[in-house]
Amino acid sequence: MRIGIPRALLYYYYYPMWKVFFEELGAEVVLSSQSTKGILAQGLKYAVDEVCLPVKLSYGHVLELAEQVDFIFLPRLVSVEHRKYICPKFLGLPDMIRRLDKMAPLIDVNVNLYRKNVDLYKAVKKAGSCLTGNKLKIWKAYHRSIVALQKYFRLLQLGLIPEEALAVLENRVKNEPLPYPVELNIAVIGHPYNIYDSYISMNLIKRLRSMGAAVYTAEQVPEKIIKRYAARLPKKLFWTLGQRMLGAASHYLDRPDISGIVHVAAFGCGPDSMTGDLIERQARAMNAPFLNLTLDEHTGEAGVLTRIEAFLDMVRWKQAGVVGL
Amino acid sequence: MKGYLGIDVGSVSTNLVFMNEGGIIREAIYLRTQGQPIATVQRGLKELADRLPAGTQVRGVGTTGSGRHLAGIIVGADAVKNEITAHAVASLVLVPGAQTILEIGGQDSKIIILRDGVVTDFAMNTVCAAGTGSFLDQQAARLNIPIERFGEIALEAESPVRIAGRCAVFAESDMIHKQQMGCSLPDILAGLCEALVRNYLNNVGKGKEILSPVVFQGGVAANVGMIKAFEKELGLPVQVPSYFDVMGAVGAGLLAREAATKNGRSYFKGFGVAEAKFKAGSFECPGCPNMCEVVEITEGDLVLARWGDRCGKWSNQLSKEKVS
Repeated sequence: MRIGIPRALLYYYYYPMWKVFFEELGAEVVLSSQSTKGILAQGLKYAVDEVCLPVKLSYGHVLELAEQVDFIFLPRLVSVEHRKYICPKFLGLPDMIRRLDKMAPLIDVNVNLYRKNVDLYKAVKKAGSCLTGNKLKIWKAYHRSIVALQKYFRLLQLGLIPEEALAVLENRVKNEPLPYPVELNIAVIGHPYNIYDSYISMNLIKRLRSMGAAVYTAEQVPEKIIKRYAARLPKKLFWTLGQRMLGAASHYLDRPDISGIVHVAAFGCGPDSMTGDLIERQARAMNAPFLNLTLDEHTGEAGVLTRIEAFLDMVRWKQAGVVGL
Repeated sequence: MKGYLGIDVGSVSTNLVFMNEGGIIREAIYLRTQGQPIATVQRGLKELADRLPAGTQVRGVGTTGSGRHLAGIIVGADAVKNEITAHAVASLVLVPGAQTILEIGGQDSKIIILRDGVVTDFAMNTVCAAGTGSFLDQQAARLNIPIERFGEIALEAESPVRIAGRCAVFAESDMIHKQQMGCSLPDILAGLCEALVRNYLNNVGKGKEILSPVVFQGGVAANVGMIKAFEKELGLPVQVPSYFDVMGAVGAGLLAREAATKNGRSYFKGFGVAEAKFKAGSFECPGCPNMCEVVEITEGDLVLARWGDRCGKWSNQLSKEKVS
């Protein structure tokens, strides 16, 4: 049995768990390839107009898998934590995908932890039952998958980006020296599927690193700290990812070793327009260098590069006090 | 004479500036790029060489603008800098104490906020060109007015009409509507200026604290109608520096001075490059579905530079060749 997992959206959070789970049940996991112009073009062609860029991209990933696999794993992610929601476009995704021609059958279990955490196991049981009737086996696979996920999250907290953390988990690490001298620490705040997808983000993280900046992301901040900082808002944010971004940004603004914040938004993302503005206001109030990058399918590399260069110039200039003229 | 050269290759104009060692501008050239950055830079260099006294020594050269990498390769630049930094550096030197820079060029517009001589914030327009010079250019052409006279006609307005500036397409239909209603030309032109200013401030200047002294630069600063519209909207005096249209080049020259002084030498290839045969070509890399468009700059048989590939397959190959 071949199960396809699109390299999109919350793949960047949960892939290690999904992979271990299905492999424990004897399935072969097929991952879609890295995002490319071709994948995006497919996504743009088939997706409905109103969705945001990352959802359009995920269409492309699903389509790449459609004819290679027996099932595509596309859980309906409603909520992944108590009293918080995932964006409604994730909720509708399996239904939007299902109507496509020649689509492989979907495993679209409901993940809704809004009320209680144990509801997760309901989803797990249902997903597992597509492969086996053995409840004990599912239970075991679930526990192994959770262990893998925890290990992955720890690696992310250590400062690895998903690509690097997955390489560690899968024992594919190359022992390379740090390729860049670090002069600055820059926080990059954005949805994981925007900032870690090197195609859609125009290789933002690696670019910053090659320009001498160490990159800090929201995934490196422990949940406890995120919650503490997010609680400063007069009202709770109800998006999991929005809270993570906002809490992490406030945390980094508080840290003297972080020299600036880059906020990455996707064109057409409702929550981004709000959290982005909240972060910008905080940064402004604290006089911290802030850059907003909006990504869409027309984004030219030159524009992004100019903005990053100018931003790093600004940060360095500010630190030196005077431009060395 | 010894001095530094600054080159700004923008989408619409290519500017060259020569300054002496003290940073005093001796020559400034403003050319239309017309989609041929290489030829335009060469033309500019030639013109500059003719204007400068014989025996002039170039101690350093800097490039900026969207064609900065291309120009940098051709002339052998000591400093290749983004437009934001170049404009900020130029304003700080030419308008000491500047706190806000409004810059509107051909296809982009930016705002730069300076405090105590340091850039503290900036923004550039997104893909939309509604708040830029091209928009005025287009509308002027549509109304059959030379762009040079746009500003003075706009100043004659008695009550500028309200035009939607959010989108160039909507603005145009709005403008046609106003014309059909019988509004006067100066009122429409002034209305256009105000629409552009509104759009600029809402879009690029969103949330920025605009403090005096305000410096207005870029090609559009030649338009007195725009200056007036900015002053009216901001309620602040707006200064236009004497080299407003070549500020990027001025900044590039100043940055070149810094870089060349630091390096103790210049990589400038000499004015002779004006005669050299450069060729820019591009091809689509078939290596993967990204289908990167790789740009290649050649001089004779020699490949000078390649870029545009995401994976570095073509550009890295070149740097290895150079080493060997």
